[in-house]
Amino acid sequence: MTVLKTSLRNFVAHKGRMALSAVAVLLSVAFVCGTLVFTDTMNTTFDKLFQATASDVTVSAGGASDTGQTTSRTGKPPVMPASVLGTVRGVQGVRSAEGTVYSTSVTVIDAKKDKLSPSSGAPTIVGSWSGNDARTMKITSGAAPKGPDQVMVDKDTADKHHLKLGDDIGMISVVGTHHARVSGIAAFEVTNPGAAVFYLDTKTAQQTLIGRTGVYTDVNVTAAKGVPDDRLKKDVAAALGHGYKVRTAKEVADANQKSVESFLNVMKYAMLGFAGIAFLVGIFLIINTFSMLVAQRTREIGLMRAIGSSRKQVNRSVLVEALLLGVVGSVLGVGAGVGIAVGLMKLMSGMGMELSTDDLTVAWTTPALGLLLGVVVTVLAAYLPARRAGKVSPMAALRDAGSPADAKAGAVRAVLGLLLTGAGVAGLYVAATSDQAKTGSGWLGLGVLCTLVGFVVVGPLLAAGLVRVLGVVLLRVFGPVGRMAERNALRNPRRTGATGAALMIGLALVACLSVVGSSMVASATDQLDKTVGTDFIVQGDQEFAFVKPEMVRQIKATPGLERVTEYKILDADLTTPDGKVVKNGTINAADATYAEDVRTKTVAGRLADAYRPDSMSVFEGFAKEHGIKVGSTVTVAFKGGRTARLTVRAITSDEVVIDKGAMYAAIPTVAKYMPADKMPLDQIVFATAEDGQQAAAYAALKRTVHADPALNVRDQTDFKKALKDQIGQLLNMIYGLLALAIIVAVLGVVNTLALSVVERTREIGLMRAIGLSRRQLRRMIRLESVVIAVFGALLGLGLGMGWGATAQKLLALQGLKVLDIPWPTIIAVFIGSAFVGLFAALIPAFRAGRMNVLNAIATD
Amino acid sequence: MTSAVTIPRHGGTGERTAVAARARQVVKAYGSGETRVVALDHVDVDIARGRFTAIMGPSGSGKSTLMHCLAGLDTVTGGQIFLDETEITGLKDKKLTQLRRDRIGFIFQAFNLLPTLNALENITLPMDIAGRKPDRAWLDRVVETVGLAGRLKHRPTQLSGGQQQRVAVARALAARPEIIFGDEPTGNLDSRAGAEVLGFLRRSVDELGQTIVMVTHDPVAASYADRVLYLADGRIVDEMHQPTADQVLDRMKDFDSRGRTS
Repeated sequence: MTVLKTSLRNFVAHKGRMALSAVAVLLSVAFVCGTLVFTDTMNTTFDKLFQATASDVTVSAGGASDTGQTTSRTGKPPVMPASVLGTVRGVQGVRSAEGTVYSTSVTVIDAKKDKLSPSSGAPTIVGSWSGNDARTMKITSGAAPKGPDQVMVDKDTADKHHLKLGDDIGMISVVGTHHARVSGIAAFEVTNPGAAVFYLDTKTAQQTLIGRTGVYTDVNVTAAKGVPDDRLKKDVAAALGHGYKVRTAKEVADANQKSVESFLNVMKYAMLGFAGIAFLVGIFLIINTFSMLVAQRTREIGLMRAIGSSRKQVNRSVLVEALLLGVVGSVLGVGAGVGIAVGLMKLMSGMGMELSTDDLTVAWTTPALGLLLGVVVTVLAAYLPARRAGKVSPMAALRDAGSPADAKAGAVRAVLGLLLTGAGVAGLYVAATSDQAKTGSGWLGLGVLCTLVGFVVVGPLLAAGLVRVLGVVLLRVFGPVGRMAERNALRNPRRTGATGAALMIGLALVACLSVVGSSMVASATDQLDKTVGTDFIVQGDQEFAFVKPEMVRQIKATPGLERVTEYKILDADLTTPDGKVVKNGTINAADATYAEDVRTKTVAGRLADAYRPDSMSVFEGFAKEHGIKVGSTVTVAFKGGRTARLTVRAITSDEVVIDKGAMYAAIPTVAKYMPADKMPLDQIVFATAEDGQQAAAYAALKRTVHADPALNVRDQTDFKKALKDQIGQLLNMIYGLLALAIIVAVLGVVNTLALSVVERTREIGLMRAIGLSRRQLRRMIRLESVVIAVFGALLGLGLGMGWGATAQKLLALQGLKVLDIPWPTIIAVFIGSAFVGLFAALIPAFRAGRMNVLNAIATD
Repeated sequence: MTSAVTIPRHGGTGERTAVAARARQVVKAYGSGETRVVALDHVDVDIARGRFTAIMGPSGSGKSTLMHCLAGLDTVTGGQIFLDETEITGLKDKKLTQLRRDRIGFIFQAFNLLPTLNALENITLPMDIAGRKPDRAWLDRVVETVGLAGRLKHRPTQLSGGQQQRVAVARALAARPEIIFGDEPTGNLDSRAGAEVLGFLRRSVDELGQTIVMVTHDPVAASYADRVLYLADGRIVDEMHQPTADQVLDRMKDFDSRGRTS
């Protein structure tokens, strides 16, 4: 009981010193809980949405995917004849049935030819206005569309693009471009997950999307009273026979939910991963805090031991304090987590996804997990310092305060750390020289882990060395103040090491990713330079944004072009000579000129030969796996078409960045096996200018392509830039998430400094007494902070660059040939860390400067 | 009540006044209202230049407070304090810091040295902070006087308590301050080490002309001084010149008994 009492008193007495540790726990727990609450809320939202929008039974055309997605490579949704509607209506138990048409591969533009698609990547849907839609939407102005020149827009899209009744809207589909005027605006009564929706009347929709009337993509069936969905489904399916997809409301909702869930899960686990890193960094902070509290209390603990406390009791009292810290931090963290979730929802709203806080879902497991994590991590982190507290001898009560250096532990630590680091470096070396991607990545992981742990363990030793070097380079300029800052940073290398290591983790990841990202760009650029023989690339900004036939005709008619290459992707099941069936493969069909446009290296055969009739190429890995040689025959069953037997004429290298894993065939070859209406649209169109006509051709091509704002035309320079931007964006997102770990690490620096200042109260008093000015004192603390931060940055950047370089060597097997170290980023991070050090010292320096000289001297 | 003010006389160190520091009607009070405690009650005192002054008195008499106020470490509630001709009461922290750095030396009871610096670095610290080059010859003489020549590269933890205090004395002397203030500088030392340190202080007064003010409650320590001031209840109650340890002890006993009877 007394243990609890002393712990409680200590906790309360030192709450200021614990505050930053609590914040670290809080942040990590908040991030975990925020992620969970947010993803749960998204799930609830979508669940409600899917429940609300699905009709009792839905009949879809045979080719539709489970989620009812109508996109396909042909640019047209799969359809069924209108007669289906009559058949369904005749089934017993059907109260009503309605045929609908909709498509998600339409580009919608306003009068200024600006795209009216959501920027978030959510789909643009053009469809017929049906009774099913009317259930979940309310027309807020105007009226439902009637006739070919009317279109209704959802309110979110109308608001975002300032659309008014009567505005012109163009819909570019595979059939052609259809113009209509806004007749009405309808608001969602359920959460709109961001899609832009345009409604036409049924006939107009059929003509605009499919090119003919009398077809539907779906038939929505409403059950008569008392007829269960399951039975109705069975009856409808029986009446229709094969070739249709008949599903109950629940099945539709579940399928949709599943696809959303898998996306949300990726996000959830990625964010939890970053929360995990923050936790790891937080551990350093907690260890440091408790080590310092124990050191500061050495005399007190010695007294406790002298008057009869057992080691266990002392040990336990520290752990109880950690427990309290964990509980306080976690409880606050759970609360902050809900706040983060709400913030994320607001953020999503800003991006077009209207989420309602009414749907806020906090499962009981979320706070439970948050609390458990926070408390367990805190107590585990405090274990070592607690054990050290238990080892304090009763004699400590009599000795002058001061923490004697633990030389023996230093030696053990050095050996262990060096061994680990050595093992890690060996692992990295094996990974770098490995010629097998799979085993290589295993070694890479091991190497990364060992070097990280090794650096952490050996950190104090490195601190001793590196800080001296930094002292010579950085601090000598500042004279005696610099020297004292250096000595202070050196006086407890373990503390400096741990503080720096916390910063190291985040920065190592930043450095590693920046090296890999930059190498990716450099390698792709390099390969583009070496292999791409075409000038312009026309493609959509989304996966299912195709270059429609009309556009292809116009591109071909653009002056100044020497050749134009079409490029399509087909789904197919492949049967290889070894008798294995590869399901859901893809064939890249292109014009023969593609071999000149992208001169992919081959390991056997000539690429141009793959474009001969009934020929194809396969990639190296595929060939190896299935024992394919030049001359082998592969059976290709085209989805929606017939089965072909194609001869392999070339095997392409795997050390490529562009079109990795592509299997090529000529468009005429593929056309033989595909009915014309099932032939996919062009994914990409390559255009090559006549010599000397590049600039003029580019301008002309831009004008041509401008007709479809879903498409972009890029020359090589722009393409490289787009590639760079794309990778840059991804990296920025990851840096943003890593910022959490870095913030916790900065808190660690602040914490270490603040506690050091408290610990050195007397020294500071003495120095002030003999004439150190406040400004000098503050500078001393700032310099110490900068040294710690720069130390962490050096370790982190060094380690991260090592990891990145190793990863590049390993990925060279996959075409990442060029190592590019992004020096501007690295240097910016390095300089930034110095500023972080300055920033971290702000409050501790201020507090030290404000210390009363006399109190400082009098402290006992 | 005896006033410790002497009539200012000129001489000693050239044209400077013979008084190194003086306090006039200094009041130091803590708290307010009913909890008000007066530590210094209208104290007047002159510290003679080139002399060794000891301040004595029982615990709570205000002797440490007086020293802290004289040294510019603490602020006063009322009255004035002059260091030479500079009034230090009312100076801003920046000026006070400079004053302490350039014109005053300190020796505390314990924890005089920065553990991260070696003996020599500790000695030159005030000058380093000020950005001044130490006077090499003077430094050597000081180091020799305190007998630390062989231990200049040692860290404080590698020195004995007596050696540490000698380093502190050397630091105080090295910058040639106008006054050195000592707060029980021998309080943590055994009698032999204490005698050593006091001997050095005495010699620095006699041979180097240093002004020293020392707070102590040890009659033996006080006997090294030229003059002893007695404080009780925040007032100067007595003083003694050229004291011996026995005289000081007798006087202390006297105060004690008076304290008990009154």
